[in-house]
Amino acid sequence: MRPRLGPAGFFLIPALALILVFYVAPLILSVYISFTPLKNWNLDRYLGETSLDNYRALYSLMRFDPDFQKVLKTTVVFTTVTLAVNVLGGLGLALALYFMDERLSLPYRVLWLLPRMTPVAVYSLLWYYFFLGSPEGTLNSILMRLGVIDEPVQWGTDPRLLPEMAWAILVIVNGFVGVSFGMIVFYSALHNIPREQVIAARVDGASTLQLMRYVLIPQIRWHIVYVTVWQLLSLLTTFAHIFLLVEWGVVDRYWGQNLALYVFLKAFSGGESYQGLAAAAATILVVIGVVLGFIALRVMRFREMMVEPKGELG
Amino acid sequence: MVEVRLERVSKRFGRVVAVNEVSLVFEDGRFTVLLGPSGSGKSTLLYLIAGIYKPTSGRIFFGDRDVTELPPKERNVGLVFQNYALYPHMTVYDNIAFPLRLRGVPEPEIDSRVQEVAKLLRIEELLDRYPGQLSGGQQQRVALARALVKRPAVLLLDEPLSNLDALLRLSIRAELRKLQQSLGITAIHVTHDQAEAMSMADKIVVIDRGRVQQVGPPEEVYERPRNLFVATFIGSPPSNTLPGSVESDGGYPVVRVAGSTYRPGEEEARVVEEAGLDRVVVAFRPEHARLLEAPPDEGFDGLSLEGEVYLVEPLGKENIVTLTVAGLPVKTVTPPEQRPGPGEKLYIAVPRPRVMLFDPDTGLNLWSLAEQLAAARRPD
Ligand SMILES: Nc1ncnc2c1ncn2[C@@H]1O[C@H](COP(=O)(O)OP(=O)(O)OP(=O)(O)O)[C@@H](O)[C@H]1O
Ligand SMILES: [Mg+2]
Repeated sequence: MRPRLGPAGFFLIPALALILVFYVAPLILSVYISFTPLKNWNLDRYLGETSLDNYRALYSLMRFDPDFQKVLKTTVVFTTVTLAVNVLGGLGLALALYFMDERLSLPYRVLWLLPRMTPVAVYSLLWYYFFLGSPEGTLNSILMRLGVIDEPVQWGTDPRLLPEMAWAILVIVNGFVGVSFGMIVFYSALHNIPREQVIAARVDGASTLQLMRYVLIPQIRWHIVYVTVWQLLSLLTTFAHIFLLVEWGVVDRYWGQNLALYVFLKAFSGGESYQGLAAAAATILVVIGVVLGFIALRVMRFREMMVEPKGELG
Repeated sequence: MVEVRLERVSKRFGRVVAVNEVSLVFEDGRFTVLLGPSGSGKSTLLYLIAGIYKPTSGRIFFGDRDVTELPPKERNVGLVFQNYALYPHMTVYDNIAFPLRLRGVPEPEIDSRVQEVAKLLRIEELLDRYPGQLSGGQQQRVALARALVKRPAVLLLDEPLSNLDALLRLSIRAELRKLQQSLGITAIHVTHDQAEAMSMADKIVVIDRGRVQQVGPPEEVYERPRNLFVATFIGSPPSNTLPGSVESDGGYPVVRVAGSTYRPGEEEARVVEEAGLDRVVVAFRPEHARLLEAPPDEGFDGLSLEGEVYLVEPLGKENIVTLTVAGLPVKTVTPPEQRPGPGEKLYIAVPRPRVMLFDPDTGLNLWSLAEQLAAARRPD
C-alpha cells in the first residue's frame, strides 16, 4: 500500500515544523560547526573549511589535559549520582506522600516544589551562602557554633576535600531541584491505581513494604523508566546552577564543572572562545545522550511494557 | 464457619456519619445481603468487618473473638469488589496465589490450592493470562478465586455483580449462591439491586443513611416493610404512596385518600387512635392492585380508587399502567392481556391485607409504630 498523509499526519505537521526549525536545524548547524575551526565567532574567516581537527583535539585533551579529565570525571559522577538521587528520592517522596494524611500532603508537596519554582539565581544564591567558605557561611557558622570545627572550611575548593566535596555540593544543589519531578509524576501515577487493589492487598495481609514492592511499584514501572530517561538527558545537559556555583567560586573550577558547562564556557566565555571545539564536545554529548537513553530503555525492558493496543488501529 | 456480630458500631469520616449505631448478627454459614441506596454506608460497613477501617465506636465479634482492634490480615476474610481489583501486572495464577505467598505458604501447596480453586470456579484455562485479557465475568471469577483461595472464615462481596450484563448476572447469582452453600461459608453480600437481594438472600439487611432500616428474610422485608423507606425501596416498580387524612365515622377512624374513603382494620384503627394521628400515608404495591372497568362490589373489603390512565408500558409478561388519581401518579401491574388505552377511566382495587399505612412523621408502618408505643409504655 502507498503511504498517504492521513489525519494523523495532518495534525503532526505543526509540531513537526516546530521541531524542524528549532531543533533539527540547529542540531545540523552545530554538527556542521563542529567540523570547522570556528573561533571568536569569526564566521567569515573560518566557515567553509572542514576537518576532524576538533575531535582530534578533544581526544588529546582527554588523554593529556588533567583539567579536562577532571571535567569528564565530574560529569560521570555528577550525572549518575544525581540521577539516582532524583529517581529514588522522587519515588520515596511519592510513596511517603501516598501513605500520608491528606492535610499534610499539600504543604509537603509545595515544600519540595520550592527549589524548582525559585529562580535559578536566587536558589543558587541560597546555596552560595550556605557553603560560603568564610565564618559567615551558614554551614560553617552552624558547625563552628556546635564546636565541630574551629576554622571555617572552604567546602567546594579546599584541595584536601576535593573532589568529593565539590561533587557533593553539585549533587545536593541539583538533587533538590530534580526530585520534585519524579515525586509529581510518581505520585499521580500511584493515585491512578484503584484504591480497591490496595485494600485487597491489605486484607490479604500485605505489609506496607510488601504493598509497595508487589502492588504499587510494579504498576508505575513505566513512569519510572520515563522519569529516569528524562532526568538522565536533562542532567547531561544541565549547567545553569553549576555555572553560577563555579562563577561564584563555591566549587573548584574543574572538579565542579560538567561537560555541558565546558561546552558553554568554551563557546561563550569572554576572551578567546572556541565554537568549533565546543560544538564537537556538544555533538559528543548528544551522541552519549542518545546512546544512554536507548540503553536505559533496553535495560528497563521498555518493549515488554508496551501493551497491545485495545483495538486495531490503522 | 463463623458468626459475625456488630454491637452498636459507628463510623464517622469527619462530619459524615457513614455508619450509625449498627447492631447486627450475620449467622454462621448464611448468605446475608446488605441492601441500600448509593452512599448509605454499605461499603463502609463491609470495610469495618474486613478491618480496613476501625469503628469510631462499638465492637465487632467473629464468634466469641473480639476483632475490633485486629488488623485485616488477622481476621481471615475474603473480599471481592465491584471493579474486581485484580493486579493488572500479575497473571491470573499469580493473582490467586498472592494471598498465599504473603502468608509464606510453600510453593507446592500454593500450586495445589490454586489449581483446586481454579477448578471450582472453572478458570483453569485462564491461569496464564493477564486480567486485561479476560472478560468481565471471567475477571469476577478470578477475583472470587483470589478471595476463596485462603479459605476465609467470612466472604465479603461488595457489589460484585454490578459490572456484569443482565444475563451473566443472573447465572453468576445462582452460581455464587450454590458455591456459598456448598462451602458453608458466612457470606455478606452488598448490593443496591433489590431484585438481586430478594433472589439470593437468606436474610436481608436494609440500610439507609448509615442506619439499619429493617432486618429479615426476603419475604418479610417485602410483605411487611417496617417503614416508608423500605416500602418504597424494595419492589419494582416501587410501592405507591398517597397522603391520607384521618376522619371519624361514628367514632371509628377512617382515612380519606385521593377522593375516596378507606376503612382500616381494627388493629390499625387502634394504633391510629392511640397515637392520635390525624394524617397517614397509604401505600400499596403495584402488583397488588387490580384494575377494574366498574367500581368494585359493595362487599369489597379494601382500598378502592378512581383514576385515569396516563401511560401504558408493555413489558411482555406484564404491563405497567400509570394512572393519575386525584392528580397523583399511581402505578399498577396488569396481566399482558389487560392493556387499557390512555385517557380511560378505571377503578383500582387493593384488598385490605395489601394496604399499608404509615405514620407520616416517623415514616413507620403502623404495626411498627405500635411496637414502639408499647416499648415506650413499659416502665423500664
Ligand atoms: N474514606 C472516606 N472518607 C470520607 N467519607 C467517606 C469515606 N468513605 C465513605 N465516605 C462517606 O460515607 C458515606 C457512605 O459511603 P459508602 O461508600 O459506605 O456508601 P455505599 O453504600 O457503599 O455506596 P455505593 O452504593 O455508592 O457504593 C458516604 O456519604 C461517603 O461519602
Ligand atoms: Mg459501595
